[in-house]
Amino acid sequence: MWTRIKSWAIAFWRTMRRPSVHYSLGFLTLGGFVAGLLFWGAFNTALEATNTEAFCTGCHEMHDNVFQELKSTIHYSNRSGVRATCPDCHVPHNWTDKIARKMQASKEVWGKIFGTIDTREKFLDHRLELAEHEWARLKANDSLECRNCHNYASMDLTRQSSRAAEIHKRWLGSGEKTCIDCHKGIAHHLPDMAGVPQG
Amino acid sequence: MRDKPLIAIGLLVLIVVAAVAFMAGRKAANTPPPVTATAATSANLPSPGAKPAAEEAPQGNQIDAMRRGIPVNQEGAVPSLAHVENADIKRNRAYPMQPPTIPHSIDNYQVDKNSNRCLLCHARANADKFQAPPVSVTHYMDRDDQFLATISPRRYFCNQCHVVQTDAKPLVANNFKDIDTILSEQPEHKAN
Amino acid sequence: MTPTMTRREFIRNTAVAIAANVAGLALPASATNVLLEGDLTQLKWSKAPCRFCGTGCGVNVAVKDGRVVATHGDVHAEVNRGLNCVKGYFLSKIMYGNDRLTQPLLRKKDGAYAKDGEFTPVSWDEAFDVMAAQFKRVLKDKGPGSVGMFGSGQWTIWEGYAANKLFKAGFRSNNLDPNARHCMASAVMGFMRTFGMDEPMGCYDDIEATDAFVLWGSNMAEMHPILWTRVTDRRLSNPHVKVAVLSTFEHRSFELADIPIIFTPQTDLVILNYIANYIIKNGKVNKDFVNQHTTFKRGVTDIGYGLRPDNPLEMKAKNAKDPTASDPIDFEQFAAFVAPYTLEKAVEMTGVEKGWLEQLAELYADPNTKVVSFWTMGFNQHTRGVWANNMVYNLHLLTGKISMPGNSPFSLTGQPSACGTAREVGTFSHRLPADMLVANPEHRKHAEEIWNIPHGIIQPKPGFHAVEQNRKLRDGVLNAYWVQVNNNMQAGANLMQETYPGYRDPRNFIVVSDAYPTVTAQSADLILPAAMWVEKEGAYGNAERRTQFWHQLVKAPGEAKSDLWQLMEFSKRFTTDECWPADLLAANPQYKGKTLFEVLFKNGKVDKFPTSEIEAGYDNDESAAFGFYVQKGLFEEYAEFGRGHGHDLAPFDAYHQARGLRWPVVDGHETLWRYREGTDPYVKAGTGFQFYGNKDGRAVIWALPYEPPAESPDKEFDLWLVTGRVLEHWHSGSMTMRVPELYRAFPEAVVFMNPDDAKARGFKRGDEVRVISRRGDMRSRIETRGRNRMPTGVVFVPWFDAGQLINKVTLDATDPISKQTDYKKCAVKVVAV
Repeated sequence: MWTRIKSWAIAFWRTMRRPSVHYSLGFLTLGGFVAGLLFWGAFNTALEATNTEAFCTGCHEMHDNVFQELKSTIHYSNRSGVRATCPDCHVPHNWTDKIARKMQASKEVWGKIFGTIDTREKFLDHRLELAEHEWARLKANDSLECRNCHNYASMDLTRQSSRAAEIHKRWLGSGEKTCIDCHKGIAHHLPDMAGVPQG
Repeated sequence: MRDKPLIAIGLLVLIVVAAVAFMAGRKAANTPPPVTATAATSANLPSPGAKPAAEEAPQGNQIDAMRRGIPVNQEGAVPSLAHVENADIKRNRAYPMQPPTIPHSIDNYQVDKNSNRCLLCHARANADKFQAPPVSVTHYMDRDDQFLATISPRRYFCNQCHVVQTDAKPLVANNFKDIDTILSEQPEHKAN
Repeated sequence: MTPTMTRREFIRNTAVAIAANVAGLALPASATNVLLEGDLTQLKWSKAPCRFCGTGCGVNVAVKDGRVVATHGDVHAEVNRGLNCVKGYFLSKIMYGNDRLTQPLLRKKDGAYAKDGEFTPVSWDEAFDVMAAQFKRVLKDKGPGSVGMFGSGQWTIWEGYAANKLFKAGFRSNNLDPNARHCMASAVMGFMRTFGMDEPMGCYDDIEATDAFVLWGSNMAEMHPILWTRVTDRRLSNPHVKVAVLSTFEHRSFELADIPIIFTPQTDLVILNYIANYIIKNGKVNKDFVNQHTTFKRGVTDIGYGLRPDNPLEMKAKNAKDPTASDPIDFEQFAAFVAPYTLEKAVEMTGVEKGWLEQLAELYADPNTKVVSFWTMGFNQHTRGVWANNMVYNLHLLTGKISMPGNSPFSLTGQPSACGTAREVGTFSHRLPADMLVANPEHRKHAEEIWNIPHGIIQPKPGFHAVEQNRKLRDGVLNAYWVQVNNNMQAGANLMQETYPGYRDPRNFIVVSDAYPTVTAQSADLILPAAMWVEKEGAYGNAERRTQFWHQLVKAPGEAKSDLWQLMEFSKRFTTDECWPADLLAANPQYKGKTLFEVLFKNGKVDKFPTSEIEAGYDNDESAAFGFYVQKGLFEEYAEFGRGHGHDLAPFDAYHQARGLRWPVVDGHETLWRYREGTDPYVKAGTGFQFYGNKDGRAVIWALPYEPPAESPDKEFDLWLVTGRVLEHWHSGSMTMRVPELYRAFPEAVVFMNPDDAKARGFKRGDEVRVISRRGDMRSRIETRGRNRMPTGVVFVPWFDAGQLINKVTLDATDPISKQTDYKKCAVKVVAV
């Protein structure tokens, strides 16, 4: 078995190393470019397709739990109609981090196949663990996904309620705290928070 | 000469009386009591006039102010959803035992067995961080009046006693008088 | 002048005070010197039960200069130990709405009563003259079957008792029913069918002793907040305790739920039988208990929906005529009956995840877990409400989890005296005090003896129940009608087709006694201004059998009078010759020519106690008016019914001292757990348990199936409508809507709807809509956020708002056994205005 695979691999390597006999360099270059373009387009399309709310809420685990909870929050409907979809908060916006997050998502595919959270009961059992991943990520990147929209420099504190303004100025303005420190559960219900620092 | 200050005080009293009376008159003219608003919605109601409203029986046929003037068997337009006041201004309590109303909005505050958003700011230990009034000492007492180390579980669900206030105008005024009002009306107190 | 005050300060303060008084202004406390003088700062505190729900919290009421100035939770009251809910904390303000009714109002045109006249202030004399003339006209023309009264679980005990006497004995009409019919009639019939005796066996002390709470259609977090504080206390202090919450939508009680269950409307019946099946299949039946203390029965099925008899649903129903019939069966037959209710079937019918169902079933099945089941309107306002009550008792009886601390099936009540007045006094159209029935000749005879009236006065046929009263008013059968302490124009189902036409029918004369001008008052012909709460001496009985008294603390405004005074004073205008048959009077000549007041209230018993027995320092306007201690006389006569029969009440004066006592009170001791040896004096030694309401001392386990609701959503009317309450308002809101803080906390009713349902119909939050059913429509606004999270296909509309009468939409289908309306299920559509 092993020797047979080895012989195939050697034959393949030899073919790949040998220069082309029938096709011109131009054809190969151009063909390679077009093929690359097609591949890249498809990859990107797939990447973007998996980066939509429709995709995220396509499985009932997301649709029946976290998406339902989102619907009554300000991140779903609000005064000006600017809203956050799942990837806005849960997928990094720059390319390398996004690819890294997408690769992590393979674990979620695994979870889907094996039904790790396919009932509400199981989901609630895992909720703390799932939430902790997101809090850790946001804490580590200084709430980057929040700040993509909510930039402290752009906040007009006079348009906030006085208590919000005061607290933002004191804790966010000084850089002592980051958004997720106080705003855990802003878009979804919180798991049992015993022992989890808030504020 | 010794009377001079008294004359000055007398004048001052007169000015204060006039000023307060003027202000009161203005206030009454500017903000009619909600009962008048009720009356306006039902054509047959007499104007409350000078008599205290409590002594007047409603007349005419549309007497339930809660119907906003619409007969029982008809449907009228519905007022738009009221907004929760979010100004963080403390309101008076009608008596010391009254739970204070919440002076800010609490949209989507999660208060359940997992988490209590109110206590994020109103816990004793967070008063310095958020400058919110910490819950009172009674909130640490159990059913037998023993003090617990943390908030008493029987007081855990804040909104059973503390509620927000919207900007909706009451349809009927309330004639409740608090103790200060009653005391200030007592003749013997005045004579004192 | 206080010595510490300088002359200048004194003059300044006085000047400001005079100025403020001239302007009629109240001085803000900050502007005055702090007042510390003993006499002035002393408040007179007295105890009273809360005016609102059936929890029966104790409050302390402060009075100064004849006005209530403060209230707070009574630390000595066992029920609430110093706590109140937000409504309770604002009790001080409920009597001071500016539109209190202070004079009788009669619809008049050209100086005389006219059905289409305008409300005009009249004297009590004129009011009673007109009212008596109308009642006499109807009595003479059509007989006692055409006069009736709709009372209340908010009546004080003696008010309900006086009304019972006036109608069932005085007018010889059993057309007396309380609004408690809308509230817990199914609970009553559930108790009667299983235990042969009304009201819970346990008490609130069960909360601190249990391991698991199961809420069957009860949002205690909003409707019984103080009991919820006790449940919360128990759950959060003891992590092993579990809370299961069942409902057709997610509400505030789910905040504490370990086992959250949202089921398809009506399938609670399936869950109940699934659990019974689970207990049997897993060998968890407490065989000793079942063998010694229970029997089994199978009830008839296909019993209809309590609609009008000509409704196709009623004509089709096989057993609509006799819905209570049953056959005795045995344990094996019962096991076979519930066997089809498997987990798979339950999951399929209820839409609930199987893990939750199994966890719930295990709470009941596990012999080491003590369980308290709580329920209110989710069970009771149900076209199979009596069945649901019977079926939850099945679970407690199969496992023997009953009548001991922490093991308790507990039916909660919504009104402060649903138990004390409506049920115990027997103000239902088929009942007499102490669980007795008008249909039973022995019971009638007993009542006539206590009441000191001739035999044959009380009619044997049950009168019209609440829903039937509305139907009979509309049909012109019931023509003279008196409504006290309730707001049925707002509360009764199918308002536009059944309630309103009857009130405005020219053949009918409608009298409404209330403290405020409600929609019911607005629909009446004569309005009588009523004294309320601490404006009279009163007594209420709460959900745990606790009877609580209070004194009159302030005077009612204007000419407002208590319901008790109204009933007794009105009885003076009738003589026995006008109301009782000639042959009965001929046989009992000593009653001839007497007024009803003389034979019912000045009968040597009710008038036995002089006014000197009234506790010093308290007014009692009724006793002053009639010349004897009215409340004491009525109470002591009433107590005769129950003493020695398992309903023992303590002597009158004891209740003015105690923070309530739970009956039966035997030898000065209250009873916490009934039917069990050692805690209930009526249970014989050596028996263990005795369900002595039934002759054989055994409780009944009922075999009853799932049956579909009267109306379900279809293509056109595509949503379930559920109605109910909110925390800040109590029932129809006539008191709480007049307290500014409570009004502003929740000023208007809304349609709670799932965001997806709203989106599918093109609605945004706040959009004005019409809620339409086959019976009527109502305008409201969409709410997709807030405290209730609706599943798709279900909307919730609270009914506290007179401005949005949701009962224009609801269906008047009732449980055929209890005659209680199902306010939780009908089909509607919601369209844009």
